[in-house]
Amino acid sequence: MNKSWKSYDSGSFFDELLTSTGNPRLAARGIMNFLRNLPGGELEERRAAAELAIRDMGISFTVYTEGGNIDRSWPFDIIPRAISAKEWHRVSTGLKQRSRALNCFIDDVYNKQKILKDGLIPADIVLESTNYKPQCQGVSPRYGAWAHICGSDLVRNKDGKFYVLEDNLRVPSGVSYMLENREITKRVLPELFENYSIMPVDDYPTQLYKTLASLSPQQNRKPCIAVLTPGIYNSAYFEHAFLAQSMGAELVEGSDLFTDDDDCVYMRTVDGPVRVDVIYRRIDEDFIDPEVFREDSKLGVPGIMRAWKAGNLAIANAPGSGVADDKVIYAYVPEMIRYYLKEEPLMESVKTYLCMLEKDREYVLKNLDKLVVKPANESGGYGMMVGPHASAEKRREFAKLIEENPRNYIAQPTLSLSTAPTCIDHKVEPRHLDLRPFILQGKDVWVTPGGLTRVAMVKGSLVVNSSQGGGSKDTWIVESNK
Amino acid sequence: MTMLSRVADRLYWMSRYLERAENTARFTSAYTHLILDLPRGTELGGWQVLVDILDAEPVFKKHYRVFNEQNVLRFLIADLNNFSSINYAIKAARENVRTTRDVLPEETWEHVNELHIMCKDMAEKSVGRRHRYEFLEQIISRCQMINGLLMTTLCRDHPHRFIKLGHLMERADMTTRIVDVGAGAILERENNNPAEDTLLWSSMLQSLSAISAYRQKIGPLVEPDPAVNFIFKEQTLPRTVAFCLKGILEELQPLKNNETAIGIAESALRKLTRFDVKKKSYEELHQFIDQFQIYLCDLDDAITNTWFLPIPTEPQEA
Repeated sequence: MNKSWKSYDSGSFFDELLTSTGNPRLAARGIMNFLRNLPGGELEERRAAAELAIRDMGISFTVYTEGGNIDRSWPFDIIPRAISAKEWHRVSTGLKQRSRALNCFIDDVYNKQKILKDGLIPADIVLESTNYKPQCQGVSPRYGAWAHICGSDLVRNKDGKFYVLEDNLRVPSGVSYMLENREITKRVLPELFENYSIMPVDDYPTQLYKTLASLSPQQNRKPCIAVLTPGIYNSAYFEHAFLAQSMGAELVEGSDLFTDDDDCVYMRTVDGPVRVDVIYRRIDEDFIDPEVFREDSKLGVPGIMRAWKAGNLAIANAPGSGVADDKVIYAYVPEMIRYYLKEEPLMESVKTYLCMLEKDREYVLKNLDKLVVKPANESGGYGMMVGPHASAEKRREFAKLIEENPRNYIAQPTLSLSTAPTCIDHKVEPRHLDLRPFILQGKDVWVTPGGLTRVAMVKGSLVVNSSQGGGSKDTWIVESNK
Repeated sequence: MTMLSRVADRLYWMSRYLERAENTARFTSAYTHLILDLPRGTELGGWQVLVDILDAEPVFKKHYRVFNEQNVLRFLIADLNNFSSINYAIKAARENVRTTRDVLPEETWEHVNELHIMCKDMAEKSVGRRHRYEFLEQIISRCQMINGLLMTTLCRDHPHRFIKLGHLMERADMTTRIVDVGAGAILERENNNPAEDTLLWSSMLQSLSAISAYRQKIGPLVEPDPAVNFIFKEQTLPRTVAFCLKGILEELQPLKNNETAIGIAESALRKLTRFDVKKKSYEELHQFIDQFQIYLCDLDDAITNTWFLPIPTEPQEA
């Protein structure tokens, strides 16, 4: 056995590849047999090869720093994470159910508001949320679908079950890295693919295209689809370009578009104006239309909301979708599933304490050292506090924040995120990880086979965000019927 | 399928910068060879000639005092203050591909990115004679590979069209500059020794990679008038000015609103056809090239104004 594995111990955490007795899990058997038998030093060679491939492929993301923006190479760990197809089938069914319910909820909130009238969710938390956009009231997008692209963050707890941590319904990113990770693994560990049946992931752009095309207001012709990016300085620009290219769509910036008097949106092209049918926006809705939202936005397109409301243009995700992407609303998703679909939730959610409720708040303030406190509508892991790891001073700071603005904070028990073997300085060590599958909803609902596994490269850390030093792994859904 | 004006603009410049890097590498390499062959005492205007080709004396003077080999080569190869240096051109080409990779063949980005990494790592080290040749060869062959990739895989529609326009515009510009400065240096040199003429004119054709074509078409002896005539008017060689202009006209034809641009390109071609190099002094040749350069500037303006700038739209509120 290769010596880099000798001291591997994931402790009391659930490990994705190994059981508590150190044997490979069924789905990971092939990976482990291969890796453990690699001659000494070869794992490191493969790691170096992956690094080179990433550099050559120019996979990068932008990090904002005081000294300006840095284009950093994508941190990638070569040891894949494996999940059995059987388990994945359950998870994806649960995710589809969740996505359908969330879309029912958004459509309801912007139309009849039945769920609020029936008192299942207090109306004021929805209608007073900054994510609720009154400008979207009365719009009914095709198929009742608002959040067409959803990236849900899943974690596996000590009990081995997947939990949904949050649903990103605004502009979730990361899918291109999921695709590139597979490309790199194929380059550096090609032997592994010989004896394994791994579900391919490269279907995503086609599925995304189908989803977007199904939204087009002009169903009788080939739709003109554009990916709207804030531009090259956005951290996910690489992904915007990647998706546009793989769908054969136009990659546009706000200044490439204009809304004409006929309430249609056009691109400025070398042949003159060309009408756009579907916009996949990768710009926060606050910036998409200075006529309606932030007046100072230079990224958006004046009049784009007019075109959308007139039904001349589909926007994915629909403006206003963020209303369901709020950590307070998150607590009510199981209720939504029962209410709209008359089904029992298939995915576990994390117990969530709403600081706005007096009873919950009291509990949270007493147990700050055990809980994770998060602002209700921030993403990217910003502004949160992991109680067990925080200093007493930090906890006092958060107690004050919560008392000042209870609506803005929620708390959850600290989950024991699962681990997986990760190459760290020529050795293999356990690191915590999560999983972001992507759910597409247009005419049909579709879930990526697997998703983007993000891994916290720092020992013991639970923060997996790439903006904060996280890395990623290729994620395999493995057919293990042999 | 149509193309965004912004994308057309970036492709055009990506192509110009790649061509510029390759051209700068070519004439730098050819001149380095020539210098090794020249007898001492032959005054060719020294290393400054290379800066003159790029019309970059003011920028050079801002950062260097003396036109010696070290300074000039650093300026041409590595200096990011010089918009025509190989290092800058490759960086700019990469930036343009980075923002247009969605319309280019997948491998383009990978190759341009690799070229950029190589150039960034090696440029400073390749200023000295020892590594210079190898570096310049690398730049030339990698640029050729990228061009080859584009020419053999791109659909013959808008992206290809604007890439080709950029490539031909840059080449026509650079070719005329090299002839201008090269002919000037040769004809006006002190201690004019006619025995060296063939060597010098051959070297100029070499820097335009036109020497073997010249020998095949015209003959082994390289003489001033036939050489200039060849590089201006030969119909079959892709390096010549006439070839570039014809190619430009071909690519302008299918575009909408092409009247202005075609008008300028046609006038330029007419002027070139009528120009008779025989019995012309260097002064007259220089004047001709000067006027021709104005046509190229006007043409570049016309392309920019017609297809790249945001189209004026219906009046919008605020």
